[in-house]
Amino acid sequence: MNRRTIFTLLFTYGILYPVFAQEKAAKNIGLREVHVEGKRYKHSAEGVLSVDVLTSDSIQKYQAGSLMQTLSRLPGVNAIGIGASQSKPQIRGLGFNRVATLENGIKHEGQQWGLDHGLEIDQYSIGTAEIIKGAGSFMYGSDAIGGVIRLLPPAELQANGLKGVVNLLTKSNNATYGGSLQLQGRKGNWVFGGGVTHLDYADYRVPTDTVYVYNYAVRLKDRQVRNTAGRETNFQLRGGYTSDQFSSIFYLSNYHTRIGFFANAHGLEPRGVNTVLYDQSDRDILYPSQQVNHFKLINRNYIAQGGHKIWVDLGYQRNYRQEFNNYTAHGYMPPVYPEDMNMPIHLERRYDKEIVNIALKDQFTLGTHRFTVGGNAEYQHNKIAGWSFLIPSYKQQTVGAFIHDQYPINDQTILYAALRYDYSHIHTSPYQDWFASTLENNQSVHIVRADELRRSFNSLVWSLGATRQIGSWETKLNVGKSFRVPIAQELAANGVNYHYFSYEKGNAALSPEQSYQVDFALARRSRNAYIAFTPFFNYFANYIYLNPTSGYDQYYGAGNQIFEYAESKVRRYGAELKMEYRPLAHWKVEVLGEYVRSEQLSGSKKGYTLPFSPAPSLLVDLSWFPKSSTYFKESYLSLDCKWTARQDHIVPPEEKTAGYQVFNFRAGTQLTWGKSALQLRLQVQNMFDTKYMDHTSFYRLISLPEQGRNIVLSIGIPFGKKNPS
Amino acid sequence: MNTQMQRLKQYALMALMLASTIACKKDTEKIDTEKPTIDLSAATAFPKQCSQIKRGSSFTFHARLSDNVALGSYSIDVHHNFDHHSHSTEVEECTLEPVKKPVKPFVLVKSVNIPGQPQQYDAQLQIDVPADIDPGNYHFMIQVTDQSGWSIQRGISVRIVE
Repeated sequence: MNRRTIFTLLFTYGILYPVFAQEKAAKNIGLREVHVEGKRYKHSAEGVLSVDVLTSDSIQKYQAGSLMQTLSRLPGVNAIGIGASQSKPQIRGLGFNRVATLENGIKHEGQQWGLDHGLEIDQYSIGTAEIIKGAGSFMYGSDAIGGVIRLLPPAELQANGLKGVVNLLTKSNNATYGGSLQLQGRKGNWVFGGGVTHLDYADYRVPTDTVYVYNYAVRLKDRQVRNTAGRETNFQLRGGYTSDQFSSIFYLSNYHTRIGFFANAHGLEPRGVNTVLYDQSDRDILYPSQQVNHFKLINRNYIAQGGHKIWVDLGYQRNYRQEFNNYTAHGYMPPVYPEDMNMPIHLERRYDKEIVNIALKDQFTLGTHRFTVGGNAEYQHNKIAGWSFLIPSYKQQTVGAFIHDQYPINDQTILYAALRYDYSHIHTSPYQDWFASTLENNQSVHIVRADELRRSFNSLVWSLGATRQIGSWETKLNVGKSFRVPIAQELAANGVNYHYFSYEKGNAALSPEQSYQVDFALARRSRNAYIAFTPFFNYFANYIYLNPTSGYDQYYGAGNQIFEYAESKVRRYGAELKMEYRPLAHWKVEVLGEYVRSEQLSGSKKGYTLPFSPAPSLLVDLSWFPKSSTYFKESYLSLDCKWTARQDHIVPPEEKTAGYQVFNFRAGTQLTWGKSALQLRLQVQNMFDTKYMDHTSFYRLISLPEQGRNIVLSIGIPFGKKNPS
Repeated sequence: MNTQMQRLKQYALMALMLASTIACKKDTEKIDTEKPTIDLSAATAFPKQCSQIKRGSSFTFHARLSDNVALGSYSIDVHHNFDHHSHSTEVEECTLEPVKKPVKPFVLVKSVNIPGQPQQYDAQLQIDVPADIDPGNYHFMIQVTDQSGWSIQRGISVRIVE
């Protein structure tokens, strides 16, 4: 009911708004802040898709615990989060390996499949974040089936100079202290830059004293989620040569974090906690916890020659992830951890993944056609360790090539067409338990959990689209087929995830996911208003999902419920609405709405939705931009109100989630003192300390509410100078 | 006139999009969204929170399982809690012996398919507790699924005594 109301409201707004806006447009009102996003992509392949852009300024303004939580303010974008500081992207309800994240042109590769893994990217290092809603498969291959997030560093200086900014920040909810230094410079054609970020935070607070894990009441000391403290240290360095004809820039970065998991219930498993030990400090990180290090070296090259624009991107990444826990003998594991084991006793799982990428692109014109041909190749090697097993080690090679044509048929209309072919090969390693299990006949056997597996996949996908300017309306229509190859987890998982009482079983016979999608965009920009309505319809001829069955497995699964990877047909549809309206010079009203509905059309979960389906939501923001004065420049005050409907569409083992309403307040100004200026920002997130649960949060399953009131204060101190060259 | 036509076209287009999106939203078929239940409240149910079990003897696990549509299977897992690592799902706290190192703890994993997809099932399973296992605090974990894959867990704290 609630959902229908919001949905109807969205459309009513959508239809009535233009009439209203056109009347207002006649009045002569100056615009101080201009948002031009559509034009930016007019001459690129993604011009036919719906793209949202956030600059570093907005990222800081809306800054939340993690990059994805920050971006999730945008309609159609959600974060699948764990706790206050880790989350991964979800676009229009699709997440995990169905969203490709690119940083500096290279696909970010971690352990995207994992429920409790976050995106290993420093949100303070980002210059621009672009979110492409709709399948970007034709450009980026597998994983871009749900959407693409592209992250770019700050734009290089146009003139010689050196400038930077020191940002200091603190957050009240989890007592965060952090700082970030960003620096960039230029001398002639040589550019360089870099940054360092460090964050240190305590256990976060929720608006409740007690969490119920099943029927057992877990008391929280000072309303703090026990053992969720963490630290993060990152650095980036970049440098190279740039000119109009040629540029070559190197990007080196490292992301490092250590963070605890809620000690009383990791996943669904209630755990005994020595409260004396755990409650002595809210900043220590005990077990269970995770530590992640992500190293990246990227080289981006650009050459313009004889009508050709050529890009060559090379990347190396290493994602090193460790999950720590007290050794617990589940099932048939020995009661005492054997002394002769090579693995450390607290290392539950370790993933060590190295990735090498190359991406090529050549853009040229033939007549009125603008062609882009490109290709990319990727090699992944994932090694595992630890006393718990979920997925085997594997090696994976992928190559792909595409051609894209952009063809303007008149001043108002541009046609787009793309064709892409991909080949990939995965080779998983065998795995045998290090301990013996007792079979029915009382035999003791070291179970073989994974056999060696080799699979190859081929995919041919296409995309057709058109953009047309009708008066002041911009319309976009795109139809395409996209794909995703099954990952090692889906093909070869064969282990117990004790935190979920689930025995996850891969299926070596899975076929690639196939998806057909229609995207539509309708946007209008006027002097004081902007509106964009972006509906989509998507049909998965083959969708891979983890199906909780009615069976238990006594031997491989040590008596846990069998969750097996299966295929089904899925229908999805939804829409986003984005409106900005400036009734007066210093006032802005913003309305952001999102709706997505998924339904499985076949298989054993026929009629059910997909896991982690975001509930419909509507955000209304009112902003006031006071006139600049001698000391205060670019000031803003804004109030966000977000209504999220209840989510009744669930699939085992989810719970229905109630609707909620959350208020956020933001204010900021540039405090000017002669030639220097301090950037001050304040945010009060969850102003009324509302107790609510987020359907796409990891801790939803144990009914742990989201973070309570959080006051975020940051101060930016710019320095350096720019010399006109 | 021309602009009016254009505006009309725009609205027609929007109405079409609206209609097509809403048309997809048929009323969902009735799907099962309820979990099964484990009832240990009957006088004959066993084990209950803080129950004591004598080693070297047999006892019968006895619980009333039910589901709104059709039951699937159940699973029993008995493991030691000498290190107090895990917690029961129950309200009542039981006395815990001091932390100790296991030597030969009792381990039992047993899965049972419930025949005939009933809505109610009286689960009974005889369990033999060997005489040479470590006495102490144990967890008696009961898990039940229904045919749709919904599951429920009960973690009962029990004590195996000499």
